[in-house]
Amino acid sequence: MSKNPLLDGRRGERHLLLGNEAIVRGALEAGVHMISCYPGTPSSEVPDTFRRLGGEGRYRLEYSVNEKVAFEVAAGGALGGAMSLVTMKHVGLNVAADPLFTAAYTGMPGGLVVLSADDPGCHSSQNEQDNRAYARAAMLPCLEPVSAQEAHDMTREAFRLARELQQPVLLRTTTRVNHMRGPVEFDDLPAAQPLVPFERNPGRFVPVPAVARKRHAAVLDIMEQARALAESSRFNTERAGNAATRLGIIASGVARNYLADALTAGGWDDKVRVLELGMTWPLPEKRLVAFLEQCDRVLVLEEGPALLERDVRALAQREGCKTRLEGKTDSLTELGELSTTLLLRRLAEFLDCPCPVKGGNAQALELPGRPPNLCAGCSHRAVFHAVRQLFGDDAYYSSDIGCYTLGMLPPLKCADFLVCMGSSISAGSGFARASGKTVVAFIGDSTFFHSGMTGLANAVFNRHDIIVVILDNGTTAMTGHQPNPGMVQDMLGENAAHLDIEAIVRAMGVSSCRKVRAFNLKAVTSALEEMRAQTGVRVLIAEEPCALYARRQLKKTQPQVAMVKEQGPDAAHCLETLACPAFYRDGEALAVDESLCTGCMVCLQVGPKSFKARRRDV
Amino acid sequence: MSTDKQKRMRIYFTGVGGQGTLTATTLLARTAMDAGLDVVAGEVHGMAQRGGVVESVLLLGGWRSPKLDFGEADVLLGFEPLETLRGLPYLRAGGAVFSSADPLPPLSVSLGGAQYPSMEEVEAQTRRVAGQCHFVPCRELGLKAGSAQAGNTVLLSVACASGILPFGVDALEAAIGKYLPPKLQASNLKALELGMAALRI
Repeated sequence: MSKNPLLDGRRGERHLLLGNEAIVRGALEAGVHMISCYPGTPSSEVPDTFRRLGGEGRYRLEYSVNEKVAFEVAAGGALGGAMSLVTMKHVGLNVAADPLFTAAYTGMPGGLVVLSADDPGCHSSQNEQDNRAYARAAMLPCLEPVSAQEAHDMTREAFRLARELQQPVLLRTTTRVNHMRGPVEFDDLPAAQPLVPFERNPGRFVPVPAVARKRHAAVLDIMEQARALAESSRFNTERAGNAATRLGIIASGVARNYLADALTAGGWDDKVRVLELGMTWPLPEKRLVAFLEQCDRVLVLEEGPALLERDVRALAQREGCKTRLEGKTDSLTELGELSTTLLLRRLAEFLDCPCPVKGGNAQALELPGRPPNLCAGCSHRAVFHAVRQLFGDDAYYSSDIGCYTLGMLPPLKCADFLVCMGSSISAGSGFARASGKTVVAFIGDSTFFHSGMTGLANAVFNRHDIIVVILDNGTTAMTGHQPNPGMVQDMLGENAAHLDIEAIVRAMGVSSCRKVRAFNLKAVTSALEEMRAQTGVRVLIAEEPCALYARRQLKKTQPQVAMVKEQGPDAAHCLETLACPAFYRDGEALAVDESLCTGCMVCLQVGPKSFKARRRDV
Repeated sequence: MSTDKQKRMRIYFTGVGGQGTLTATTLLARTAMDAGLDVVAGEVHGMAQRGGVVESVLLLGGWRSPKLDFGEADVLLGFEPLETLRGLPYLRAGGAVFSSADPLPPLSVSLGGAQYPSMEEVEAQTRRVAGQCHFVPCRELGLKAGSAQAGNTVLLSVACASGILPFGVDALEAAIGKYLPPKLQASNLKALELGMAALRI
């Protein structure tokens, strides 16, 4: 193994790091003992980097089966005295919300840091929820880095606070911060940090009602201590361009970046005083009030909902501040992401200056789209094709979270509704019961372990009527091939054990269960035909490794590729119903791009007259 | 000299998932950092990478916001001509465009439902807003150098050789030597030369 600066780097070195890598280095410098996670964009590179590094015995990493479990493992670790980090995407914290709220009550003596990677703009998510709200609701100190250096520094600070206060700390990032790269200055890695020995105290750690009532008061005290720390936190900074100005801006989160760039671009640095919040909960109220009192007008800038704005308004009202407060408007909304241009426009209004933003210089053109698509050789495409040919629009398709959500696109059209991760079986059950329609639910292997198993148990228990297709590609494909319990033992290594999906399904009492190769269209189709004639819970397990995973990790490539042997309506039909990205038009003729074709040979089964196999040119 | 070197610049990269545009972005970011510039790069991973559009940015000289809005980029690096055209609104008036001239048609075009714009159209639209633009057969030159991915280095080389960035081809050459794995060195150094030659034509 070559040396990696994340493990071997020394004090004073500077390296260009991804925000998520900077979090890893910060955690290592704090002395993290345990990391648990469920992967999800944009958080995944944190555990994946820990995995790549191996750790040389410094820490223990696990990919848990879902975020609730990951949180509970980390909480147990922190109760057992370890500095623990648990990572997930924003919607994952909903799954983990139950242990989150209670962990905040009992406290976590070893130190627990919760990374929530939010996704404003929905780059890879089903919503734009803002998890600063969890810091407020569950009572956790919250830090929000906006540069790679801060991602590093604040992760260290989060562990320091987590141990000092014994309160879980929320490290809240957004996509642009997780996936930015910037220079990070290192400190040395410490010697192994001591565990905090667990002292039995059921009166604190077992939150029966009498204990919980007492702990609620204790947590309020702890949060007041955290507030005192926020008052003097080095991550909350103030500057006044011009001592006389009575105009102020309070900025938090990634808005701090856009603000800095907009002030520079507008040449307005002298016109305002600025309070930047990096430790964003609890609020440093004294500092905020002192700032408000220096200003006649204050603009609050934050991406997403007006949480800070509402809190500052409430604080100003309580303290009798006469400052006029401004925030979200019709042009600076709660939707999506901010930008420097948006802030230039808003600041021009606020400062009553001409806006330097010129109109667009290129008209938006009508161009052919390039939506994300299932890869060439993706086994999901084969199964979706077979399902659509057999059921067409007669069935309703309950989808789930994974690459296979892309099955919604024509011509496959295999997603009619989706509630959340792990919902396909349970939501499909409810839909079938209410509508009386045939429902086919699709779920991937990792999502099945995440929270599909409980839905399946429920479907059997409550005698629901549903066909479940488990798309088992042997990995967690969408987020970058992280381990899951269904993965073959060889790829899991000795720290994890393989679980057999078919055995689980049968043990849950599903009698109609078939396992087929996804690329064998005849087998997929005949199994589904058999299931169509039955009632109750039916499960088809369609196995085939993810094409990218097969090539990159399993090092498997097919020696053959497909080619068109006969043009005509049969070939055109295959193109129109399968829509494999390896197909292209060469003038009027249909052809297969050898560099994209993985040799799955599904097109040969769809159009046997039109396609044949040939050896791959090397 | 040093203040000139810290000239603020925002570069917008666009390409297609799987092409290697993020690797190219990181290589140019490392090049800039080693040249003593303030650097922030931004990228988006995840769902978009399944054959979709992949955008990234590189900010030099003190800019902090790793997401660009329309009209903010000084330079556009397009690794695929249709994506260059789609990304044009991000360019400020008079900015510079360096683009591949080798199309990767999206599925909608392959399926015959949509029309890929002609290269003449792509270039004409680009000239309308750009102060300067260069279209280079990156894929073709990359394959000549050893791999389609080396075509990305062709494009970086063209941009460095143009003199518009605050560092030159020598800085890129040093970064290739320092940061790319040994087995990729020869093809990328060849690609670097082909890029410089392409600009002279």
